[in-house]
Amino acid sequence: MIKIKAKDVDVFYGKKQALFNISLDIEENQVTALIGPSGCGKSTFLRCLNRMNDVIDICSVKGEILINDFNINDKSCDVVRLREKIGMVFQKPNPFPKTLYENVSYGPTIHGMAQSKQEMDEIVETSLKKAALWEEVKDRLHEPGTGLSGGQQQRLCIARAISVRPEVILMDEPCSALDPIATAQIEELIDELKKEHTIIIVTHSMAQAARVSQNTGFFHLGQLIEHGSTDKIFKNPDNKKTQDYITGRFG
Amino acid sequence: MNLILFTFIVLLGFTSYYFGRKKAYTIQSTKKRLTALPQFYGYYLAIWCAIPAFIIFSLWAIFEPTIVKLLILSDYSNQGYLDDELNLLYEKSKALSRGQFTGEITPFIEASAEKYLSLRSIAQSSKVVIVLSAIIASVAYAYKRISSNSRTREPVEKFLKAVLFTASLAAILTTVGIVFSLIFQTIDFFKVIPLFDFVFGTHWYPAKAFVRDSSEALDPTMYSDTFGAVPIFAGTFFIAFIAMCVAIPIGLMSGIYLAEYASTKVRQYAKPLIEILAGIPTVVYGFFAALTVGPFLKELGTSMGLEVSAESALAAGGVMGIMIIPFISSLSDDVITSVPQSLRDGSYAMGATKSETIKRVIFPAALPGIVGSILLGVSRAIGETMIVVMASGLAANLTLNPLESTSTITAQIVVILIGDQAFGDPKTQAAFALGMSLFLVTLCLNIVALRVVKKYREKYE
Repeated sequence: MIKIKAKDVDVFYGKKQALFNISLDIEENQVTALIGPSGCGKSTFLRCLNRMNDVIDICSVKGEILINDFNINDKSCDVVRLREKIGMVFQKPNPFPKTLYENVSYGPTIHGMAQSKQEMDEIVETSLKKAALWEEVKDRLHEPGTGLSGGQQQRLCIARAISVRPEVILMDEPCSALDPIATAQIEELIDELKKEHTIIIVTHSMAQAARVSQNTGFFHLGQLIEHGSTDKIFKNPDNKKTQDYITGRFG
Repeated sequence: MNLILFTFIVLLGFTSYYFGRKKAYTIQSTKKRLTALPQFYGYYLAIWCAIPAFIIFSLWAIFEPTIVKLLILSDYSNQGYLDDELNLLYEKSKALSRGQFTGEITPFIEASAEKYLSLRSIAQSSKVVIVLSAIIASVAYAYKRISSNSRTREPVEKFLKAVLFTASLAAILTTVGIVFSLIFQTIDFFKVIPLFDFVFGTHWYPAKAFVRDSSEALDPTMYSDTFGAVPIFAGTFFIAFIAMCVAIPIGLMSGIYLAEYASTKVRQYAKPLIEILAGIPTVVYGFFAALTVGPFLKELGTSMGLEVSAESALAAGGVMGIMIIPFISSLSDDVITSVPQSLRDGSYAMGATKSETIKRVIFPAALPGIVGSILLGVSRAIGETMIVVMASGLAANLTLNPLESTSTITAQIVVILIGDQAFGDPKTQAAFALGMSLFLVTLCLNIVALRVVKKYREKYE
């Protein structure tokens, strides 16, 4: 089933065009990887999906992005509700300078999801459990989140993102600042999370894309060169550029 | 004369730099590898020029006057003069040699003055000779010593370190000196005025101390009920409180606006404009408060049936608050801007609105810096003088009514020290005691601020 449908998306930074005519369908409850060389626009595209580009003054987005058949670029779209449904995990772990508990309860609090302290405790616990962090931190929930290791911080950010039960999770190179062990933990987690969430991950590591994703899109110079099942892209791509990138001949 | 000598030594320094570098180039041209860049050889020689000059100059400055004095006074030894009289004789002959002496000229003094002049000129010329020969000797020695493998870089680096160390030492020693002079004068003050009366007395009336003729003996009882500092401490904190009531909300909100809401263009113009407020001399704020705000408040009060003094704490405090706004807004703008963008992104991505993000993420993250900026503002408010002197009156009333006039520590120091000052008089020493207490208050404030900020940092970093 198609969860997100992008149609002819163009993105401009001031006068410079960053994305050209991107049309891409994203399957529900699967992991879609976006790969490509640096500056090819894959992160820009990711940020279109929860309208994070609104934060950048000079950035403008054209075209339709349908999520559950609703165009999020429409004026009637409420960004607060949209971002409640579409969570995001960033390249560098960015826990708030608050306690672990406050970090996870941040989303539920601003969206008024818990009626009582007990309910909130439950949300925090399930989110941390889903992020495979509960066992490590259950005794120090009221210590600052910034005191954790890099990998734990990133899992805390994932817990924060899933605390509001989003339908889609966007991940912008979530492992690029982590060591191999922490990376393996996050990848395992992604595999688990796709049962309940649709996941789109931007990555520089082709091995990671091959390991975690079912679908892959290849971006180059602001254009979507090719997309399809990960198997096909990695084993038998249609486009020569894709072939060259996958085999490490450029990029 | 000294200036010419000094210029000449500086020129010598440049010359030795030039020769040092040149020798290094010569060594280099023989295909030998140098241990340092040629410039270091130059600096090395320049240092060999500067150090002897500096040492001889300082020794001269320390010993010359003493030796000259000894030589002149040796004429008068065994004549039964007292030490004080000898000193006076010496000062008289010095003054005469400069042509500034107005008293009766005795042959003795005239002879001493001539001797003084001749000694000075001998000292001067021997100084020139000694300094120049020492410099030339040391530079020549160093010049001969440097070779391809001599170490020049390390001494130059060490010399730089020593110069920088001396500079910071000078700053620290000056502060220590000021504090000590405060302490000793304060101790003298409290020998006459009991500490208890000063700290807990509620009458501050230094005009009473003006009456004393300095030839009269000091009678501590006449100062009872004169130097009770409670009213002026209360006035200081009260006016600072009013100022912060104005400055904190406005400064903080404008800081948040500039950092988070204003477009780049607005910020580009608005920030310098606000900072201009900080560049206005406080004396201008002072007469603005005294001539515009004060009378305005008085009229406003009268029209509402309130009795407002023309010199009210409200006028002074309010204007002082306006003066402090730019400190708080500019500093808090800086700390808020320096909160990493990734935290904002994280919060926006959770669906938080701008105000929620500011309230829940950015403000807590920036709090140490904001607290710092506020405490800096408080220090300014407590130490501010001109506005208070001009706008809030000089009579130390013990009051909590912002519409009455009151006075502050700084204003009272001004009152005490304006006009003639007699050293060793409790009136003057009172200024030192006040300065000391002001210093202690701001010191405590700074220590508390550092503690608060550190504790907060530990919690979140």
